[in-house]
Amino acid sequence: MRIVPNNSAGSPQTVFYHRCTIDLARGAIDIGDVPCRNLEEVLGGFGRSFQYLATRDVSDAFASENPMVVNTGLLTGSNVMTGLRTYFSAYSPLKVSNTGLPAAMWSAGSGKFGSKLKWAGLDELILENRSDRPVVIVIRESDSGPQVELRPADHLLGQYCHEKILTLYAEFPNAHFAAIGPAGEHYTACYYAAIALSTENLLKTGDDKCRWAGRGGMGAVLGSKNVIGIVAEATDRLAKLSPETRALNKEIATGPGSRKFREKNRGGLGGTWANYEPLEQFHMVPQNNFSPTGDGKPELMFRDALEDRFVIKAESCYRCGINCHKNIYERAADGSKGAFRAKFDYEPLNLLSTNAGVHDPDDVWPLVALIDHLGMDSISCGTTINYVLDYNARHPDSPVFNGATFGDADKIRELIEQVGTGQLPELGQGSKRLSEQLGEPDYAMQCKGLELPAYVPDTNPGYPWAIAGGHMSMATYMLVAMEGDTSLDYWVSAITERGLLMVRDDLLGICKFAGLNTKMAAQSLGDEIGLVVSPDELVTAVRRAFIRGLWLERKQGYTRDDYTMPAQVFDRPNPAIKAEPFVTREFFAALSDRVWAVFDQEIANLPPITDETPR
Amino acid sequence: MSESSAPQHLSNAVRIRLPALFADRIDGVSAVEVTATTVAGALRALTDRHVALTTLVWTGGGALNPVMVLFLNDRQLSGTGITHTLHSGDRLEIIPAIEGG
Repeated sequence: MRIVPNNSAGSPQTVFYHRCTIDLARGAIDIGDVPCRNLEEVLGGFGRSFQYLATRDVSDAFASENPMVVNTGLLTGSNVMTGLRTYFSAYSPLKVSNTGLPAAMWSAGSGKFGSKLKWAGLDELILENRSDRPVVIVIRESDSGPQVELRPADHLLGQYCHEKILTLYAEFPNAHFAAIGPAGEHYTACYYAAIALSTENLLKTGDDKCRWAGRGGMGAVLGSKNVIGIVAEATDRLAKLSPETRALNKEIATGPGSRKFREKNRGGLGGTWANYEPLEQFHMVPQNNFSPTGDGKPELMFRDALEDRFVIKAESCYRCGINCHKNIYERAADGSKGAFRAKFDYEPLNLLSTNAGVHDPDDVWPLVALIDHLGMDSISCGTTINYVLDYNARHPDSPVFNGATFGDADKIRELIEQVGTGQLPELGQGSKRLSEQLGEPDYAMQCKGLELPAYVPDTNPGYPWAIAGGHMSMATYMLVAMEGDTSLDYWVSAITERGLLMVRDDLLGICKFAGLNTKMAAQSLGDEIGLVVSPDELVTAVRRAFIRGLWLERKQGYTRDDYTMPAQVFDRPNPAIKAEPFVTREFFAALSDRVWAVFDQEIANLPPITDETPR
Repeated sequence: MSESSAPQHLSNAVRIRLPALFADRIDGVSAVEVTATTVAGALRALTDRHVALTTLVWTGGGALNPVMVLFLNDRQLSGTGITHTLHSGDRLEIIPAIEGG
């Protein structure tokens, strides 16, 4: 980025970002500066990429006209702790309207790749068309700016994600990497393929400790372009730490915003894994395809219950004091750390254990690890498999696939292996399409084609308005447990005023776990980048970016009918959940009326994208 | 941003640090100074001043919200910690036990 020091948010056109566009079909590479049109483009992430996608007409996520935008946020690669995010944006094979058209989507991941991309001299990489052979994109810094080339990638095919990264690391020891796994190579049979991003820890240990741009099948889109990996090689370019950023980083590493994700021995609550205990108070931990029973089984996956079995180490991406990764290792007889097994975050852990009826941790960690190895989104893969388990439990005489049902860890593992290697395309298309083909969509836990994360929909009527996954783009998934307010007024406000603002960090380049409030985030842009932005200006830009996401959904055929809940929520309220069953059809209809009264107006008033030429 | 209305010379002036969930509901105030002799008193002073935080801190029955966790001087308080006595200069934090990722 070229930013005039103390530039203000009111003059985005004086800010330029550095973009590389690759026509993969021709091998043509174009690099240049692009002026920003508004504050969202200055901030970056999906605030910029969605404006690019808005200029395209795409009817098939795997068609050549679907571009993939790989970009960073303004704080990616900066000294601000957690400023590590990379964003992958495209029309998604998984997120589709009822018309079948693909919807715009982004997925974000940490690791060190984004920083290296920025230090190599690029803010954005646009991939057009499809290479006729598997390639790796190599981006390297030079005195005359970033150098970009395409190299053959045949030698990487078939390798697990982390194996690909380690192979590339041997060739490029000063680089970091993005890579797809076997799932992305078999993209036509696995729509929820993800993109792995390398961490220092992975390169140092050789263990599968990738970070993930998981949601929405961005790995499938990258695979459809025959891009197997991306290499970003550059010298680390961290400026001298200013007193202001030092103070901010101290707040991030030790303040209340990240305490939930920090380790217990550092005054934290132990990571997202520790959601189990408070949610179980209300019987809100998903069990057996999002149907909590109140039988106490979730307690078997409480972190405290597994401390004797495993050594749990808190590790990080790069220069991050939060150490949110809760990696589990074998515990040797003398109590010391043995072999690495898997990373236990709440989402993959729940969706592959309690929500699949699997309660033995020695059955669970191989499932979590295998999904990572193969390069799939553990949420979409887990939730789609949980639908299959439920279907088979309901149809014991005519099961589908291998007949797996709840608790069949070996058969679940078989399903994961097969879908991740392209052998089960019906399963790999996600729960929306699969459930419609099976004629039983009511208990498919998805909204708009994206599978739900591990929070029961019975307590979150905000899910349908999430534009990039239910717990990444609409902060309403925990509110019933947190505040218990089920009034219509509360929910309209929760969705239209507060919930949508959680996408802020997906413009800025920082991690949600940093826990910055809006004032801190705005202040950090001035302190670290020299961009003077008021909190109100930041909120306005974030809100506009979100509304543009809804506009893009409408462009792809979404109507009000697309914004609904799994019918089971309306028709079969779960008596085990300790909360008022308030998400009735009548409540939801009234909520929709009021939410759309707000959003429709803002969509109508959205400033047009003035430059119609794709840049 | 921190907010202080408790005269600094008063005894039992304590500072309550707030995560973004709270701060973004009260115009970015991320720390509040109150005067109180117990944790419960400090939290009551917080919500008296910032009514928008009431449903985050308290249940309808007036008990501490069961999904909130308290830290006093960086040490987690147990379930009964709300009756804990405070001393001048103490640092209190309240954070939600549920957050995604």
